[in-house]
Amino acid sequence: MWTNQPNRRQTLRSMVAASPLMAGILQPMLTRGESPSSDSLAPKAPHFTPRAKRVIFLFMTGGVSHVDTFDPKPKLTADVGKEVKFDHPEIKDRPGYERIFLKKPQWTFRPDPATGIEVSDLFPHVRSQMSDIALVRSMHTDHSNHYNATLGMHTGSFAFARPSIGSWLSYGLGTENSNLPSFVVIAPAQTYAGTQVYASDFLPGAHQGTLVAPGAEPVANVRPALPADQQQAQLRALEKLGRRHLANRANDPALTARIRSFQTAFGMQMAVPEAFDLTRETDNTLNLYGLGRGQTNGFGWQCLVARRLVERGVRFVELIDTGSSGNWDSHGDMMDHERLAKNVDRPIAGLLRDLKNRGMLEDTLVVWTTEFGRTPFNNTADAKGREHHNWAFSSWLAGAGVKGGTIHGATDEHGMRAQDNKVHVHDFHATILHLMGFDHERLTYRHAGRDYRLTDVSGDVVKPILA
Amino acid sequence: MIRFHKSQIIAFFSLAIWVLPNLVLALPSAAPADDAFERDIRPLLIQNCQKCHSDKKQQGGLRLDSRQALLKGGDTGPAIVPGNPNDSLLIQAVRHTADLKMPATKKLPDEQIAKLERWVAEGAYWPANQANTTTKADTKKHWAFQPVTNPPLPSVRDTAWPRNSIDQFILARMEAARLAPLPPAESRMLLRRVTYDLTGLPPTPEQQDQFAKDPSPEAYARVVDNLLSSRAYAEHWGRHWLDLVRYADTAGENSDHPLPHAWRYRNWVIDALQADMPYDQFIREQIAGDLLTAQSTGKEYASHIVATGYWAIARRFGHDIEKDQHLTLEDAIGTLGQGVLGLTLACARCHDHKYDPISMRDYYGLYGILASTKFSFPGCEPKQQPADLVSLISKAEQEQRLKPLDEKITKLEAQRKELAAKLDTLSGSNATKSKDSLKQLGTGVVAEGATVPLKGENLDSLPIKTGEALVLTIGPNGGYGADTTRLDWVIEEVLANGKAGRTWSLNDLLNDFHAANPHSDQLGNNNTWFLLANKGGYRLLPEKAANINSRSELLAWRLTDNPAVLINSSSQPVSVWTNLAPKSVFVHPGPDTPVAIAWRSPISANVRLRGSVTDAHPAALDGVSWKLEHQTSTLWTTELLAQTAVSKELADLDAKLNELKAEKNRVPVAFAVTEGKPADTRLHLRGDPEKPGEAVPRKNLDILGGQKVANAQNSGRLDLANWLTSPANPLTARVMVNRLWQWHMGKGVVATPSDFGTRGTLPSHPELLDHLASRFMQSGWSLKAMHRLLVLSSTYRQQAVPSDNTNLFIGHIRRRLTAEEIRDSLLAATGELDMVPGEGHPFPPESSWSFTQHGPFAADYPTNKRAVFQMQKRNRRDRFLALFDGADPNATTASREATTVPTQALYFLNDPFIRARVAGLEKKLATQPDDGSRLDLACQLLYSRNASENDTQDLADFLAAYPPMAKTQAWRGWLAVMLAANEVLYVD
Repeated sequence: MWTNQPNRRQTLRSMVAASPLMAGILQPMLTRGESPSSDSLAPKAPHFTPRAKRVIFLFMTGGVSHVDTFDPKPKLTADVGKEVKFDHPEIKDRPGYERIFLKKPQWTFRPDPATGIEVSDLFPHVRSQMSDIALVRSMHTDHSNHYNATLGMHTGSFAFARPSIGSWLSYGLGTENSNLPSFVVIAPAQTYAGTQVYASDFLPGAHQGTLVAPGAEPVANVRPALPADQQQAQLRALEKLGRRHLANRANDPALTARIRSFQTAFGMQMAVPEAFDLTRETDNTLNLYGLGRGQTNGFGWQCLVARRLVERGVRFVELIDTGSSGNWDSHGDMMDHERLAKNVDRPIAGLLRDLKNRGMLEDTLVVWTTEFGRTPFNNTADAKGREHHNWAFSSWLAGAGVKGGTIHGATDEHGMRAQDNKVHVHDFHATILHLMGFDHERLTYRHAGRDYRLTDVSGDVVKPILA
Repeated sequence: MIRFHKSQIIAFFSLAIWVLPNLVLALPSAAPADDAFERDIRPLLIQNCQKCHSDKKQQGGLRLDSRQALLKGGDTGPAIVPGNPNDSLLIQAVRHTADLKMPATKKLPDEQIAKLERWVAEGAYWPANQANTTTKADTKKHWAFQPVTNPPLPSVRDTAWPRNSIDQFILARMEAARLAPLPPAESRMLLRRVTYDLTGLPPTPEQQDQFAKDPSPEAYARVVDNLLSSRAYAEHWGRHWLDLVRYADTAGENSDHPLPHAWRYRNWVIDALQADMPYDQFIREQIAGDLLTAQSTGKEYASHIVATGYWAIARRFGHDIEKDQHLTLEDAIGTLGQGVLGLTLACARCHDHKYDPISMRDYYGLYGILASTKFSFPGCEPKQQPADLVSLISKAEQEQRLKPLDEKITKLEAQRKELAAKLDTLSGSNATKSKDSLKQLGTGVVAEGATVPLKGENLDSLPIKTGEALVLTIGPNGGYGADTTRLDWVIEEVLANGKAGRTWSLNDLLNDFHAANPHSDQLGNNNTWFLLANKGGYRLLPEKAANINSRSELLAWRLTDNPAVLINSSSQPVSVWTNLAPKSVFVHPGPDTPVAIAWRSPISANVRLRGSVTDAHPAALDGVSWKLEHQTSTLWTTELLAQTAVSKELADLDAKLNELKAEKNRVPVAFAVTEGKPADTRLHLRGDPEKPGEAVPRKNLDILGGQKVANAQNSGRLDLANWLTSPANPLTARVMVNRLWQWHMGKGVVATPSDFGTRGTLPSHPELLDHLASRFMQSGWSLKAMHRLLVLSSTYRQQAVPSDNTNLFIGHIRRRLTAEEIRDSLLAATGELDMVPGEGHPFPPESSWSFTQHGPFAADYPTNKRAVFQMQKRNRRDRFLALFDGADPNATTASREATTVPTQALYFLNDPFIRARVAGLEKKLATQPDDGSRLDLACQLLYSRNASENDTQDLADFLAAYPPMAKTQAWRGWLAVMLAANEVLYVD
């Protein structure tokens, strides 16, 4: 969510230009010296000069198999059918899983010609962008349940509700455009743990993620319920009533803030649809994302809208590809990964290319992740699916401050455990905060007698992937 | 009277510091000083100094990370002289005026230097609670752990102003600072304020009118008494408590299971507040109501049980929630600590509390008490159905209640035995008599999931006489149990020319299935289809069963559960234990009792038989067997009919028995707790239950006395209830009166209402807090007595304090309505608010639950009842509540924020809820004779006052300036403006 502040005059003025009427109302307000400290969304400087000014966070729901996508394991193919023994959380005490066998990856890995980094045929388009990507092959997380792992990847907490990473960054940085939310989540359906993955929890409510559901009217209540002339007449009257009410109330800032919020809301009715309006995008651009003209759904739409939102000053845009069912959770048949990869591969590559073409990849961080990986084994050698696996998975970062074309960390020969340069979810978060200019140990909030932070009590910045 | 400004408040502070030396600790170190330090000083020291001067490096022997370290200084002496910036080396260094210039690389900006100077000048305040500045022994001396005192009332010069003791404490401090109170609020503002504060609703036009017309000095007190006795009071203050206990109607685990009985606890809270249950009892019942029930019966017993829903509604975690029970107990301990004691106990789960004297032993001492308690089980993904729900009827009463029922059941069962024997004889003799006349036409086996056509002799043209029967029997296959089996069966009369004549089909049964057994055919012949069990001879299935598996489409005739003939009457498939095809007939044999359908021929003719047998439950592993027979004796069906009377008597008897047995089980239950297996617990090293440490006795917190549970055979909850509510407990009363102050005035005497520990802020008026706490206990812990004291005070009756002026509470701070108040007020304005208290929610029946993390419970049940009665989910937060800062039901909420964001304004501009309220208001005003009275009523409903000349002028101006259109439409526009006004949303 977002508030408006007089010290952000420029954005307001640019909006005002669209409406000669509002200028008359806003001008006196803009000249009044109202303390910005009451506004939790006022732009704030981070701890040090940031490499990235904004984040696009791509979350693949359900657990993407690392050994079938970004982590080639020839030994796994060679040893297929071999029985292995592990005290694995996902299959412990599970009937039918008394014996487990290595299971072969089903897609061919090929090197990206530019960097030589091997990526499977599930992601041919992303593969061609590896020179901008730092790939982390040694991710691991605390929990093998979707709900807990998803909550962990978003909040750093695997059980309790805590502020989302987007909320933390909104809290740390405020917003550059008061007509748009600081933190937007675009998702066709709720993922695991529901609204908690983008909630602000104990941080001020202004930092909660605004949910956008793909479709013709993505943000609630931005479509004016009345013709413009009526609405403007009402807003003028409301302003008058508000000012009179304020007059013998010592200019109480809470009251003035609410009066102003109506003017901003009026502006948002134009700014938000404009941000979501793709009609001025060229065919070439639409093509990059694999998007048809007039289309208002699909991951390509999500990616293009994300670019438009960050262009307009939104700090953190999260794209969630699917909801809590029909996702990457391919227990039954790994071939289902093909459908899911096809949905996102070209749009993601298109997004990276588009950002780069516009020079925006310089200061935009793109993060790709999932909640956990999938088991390199199953209970029969020819089982079609894979189970949940929190010991190892792959994620990547691209863009601002990231050393493209790098691989960080490695799993063991079968992709079972993150082995070299392990990266925990807290390390991953610390790195994102670092790129945004924050020391993750100092971005804290006092709540219930304790200074909370996104990374709980651990986390190290993954320095080798920094440019 | 003087209105004071910020500068005066600052003056007040500095004066108070010097004038009232006994308050030195209290005043400057209250929230402002703490906040100022954390905002301005600490970050400055961290960013600029501590890299070289802290625990890692101590250049020049100096550390700058605690007050003591600063006082101790480094090689060149103390870094600061509190109160004297010029003599402080730190200040000299940062000014870059002396030899020592720090930071060496770059001089600090002037404003930062000024902040440091001011900080040193004001005494170099450092929060007294930093770990590296205090020891645990010091923290035991922390103010909040000292006994509650009853300080004498301070004297005041202006004796006319105070109405009660509160005012004397407030005024004394003001006078010391040479400040005067604000003028009293206008009476209509005061009425609006007190009505909202006590009930969460605005005063009605009638209440406004009544108050305006009552000039007596007692008018206001009368209003307060009326409000306090209203149900609305209890609903509003119940909501405050529900915020603290993070009440929700779902469990919060991965699939967010509904809690269909939680509402009883919610309503218990409301009832208790309405009855002004003493607060100590209120706590005791929630902690250990089930252990206070020994002497109670009836409603009182039930109420004691329901109260422990306090524990049961703790949040659940994970997939298989029993595996994460330690997190649920942490949630429960944390909520108890913050809510009742104002202590952050959960910090001690992994290590001794860093700042407060709370050890891991304390934490696991309480943990053991809860681990010895059995919580109702809400259901979770691997175990869908709830368990361990607690009966609301006492054991003694239960026995008393059951005795006559059991007697009746015994009597009926004896009768039943006789009838059953009689039926056995009848059917046995029928079987014997008709044995030789029975001819088998065909038989076979149906494999798992297969469909087999009926095959046998003469099925294309079978001669049959009126009264003879064809019998299709389905039994288990080889004694392995049995499956749900679908039957299709058509019987056609074969005419002389070979064409089909009259036709019968099993689908005859779908027509009014429960009408009778034997069932009629479509041609009007009664007693055509016989639904039978073969139990040493055929007998009619006696019992009608509806709503099989809670599905109204499914009906059966049966003998106990099985054998049964079952139909899916709808034109949609029904998915239950298996998928049941639409408009179909199924049979289910009993384990040793085959089921049969017999067709009694109403004609003498040749007939053709067609049909099939399908195993309709492929997962059950064993298939069924079938047999088709021709009963050539017409006596067979006659004798079956002769059984009807006995069979019906038996069925009636069974129905009665079932009802009696159901009555036995029909015990209302609560989502609550009972005693579990009492046992001490081991420490969880670093909070990990897999790493057990030493065993810890169940005990009180050391800081509250450290007593052990008296009788190790009990969980210790009753001991806990007594420890919490002991008059010697320094926290419970203080924490609650502080909350009352906060919820009435806008900010607590202690500004961190759920943290009275060393990291919390100090009380701004310590004597006042103790006065309130001791008075609270003396009043018998009466909340209503405290409300009266607060809202009748002159302090409360002053004009509103601006919402930003929260550094000093001296009265009621202007506040925005809460999410619930906004919704309820708008519904009330249009007359749409349903004031009938809510009860349970229309959750789907427990038997149908199959929630998963992929498909969690996510329903909504909109209602126009007060918001406190709305169903609240934990994992899918209500959009409106989230938008207007509602409480998060996942964690205890001590105070509501009031953020102002444009999406709220968009809601007022465009949301259908607001548009509907505008329309509702328009309708309500339509009965008024003219514009003037319409405007008056609108002002009363929304602003709690009559229309003024300004309003009349505003309306006229609005109508004149509005785009030309019908007047009613323009009025609607005006109402939308009024409804969105600040005057509606803020309470002065």
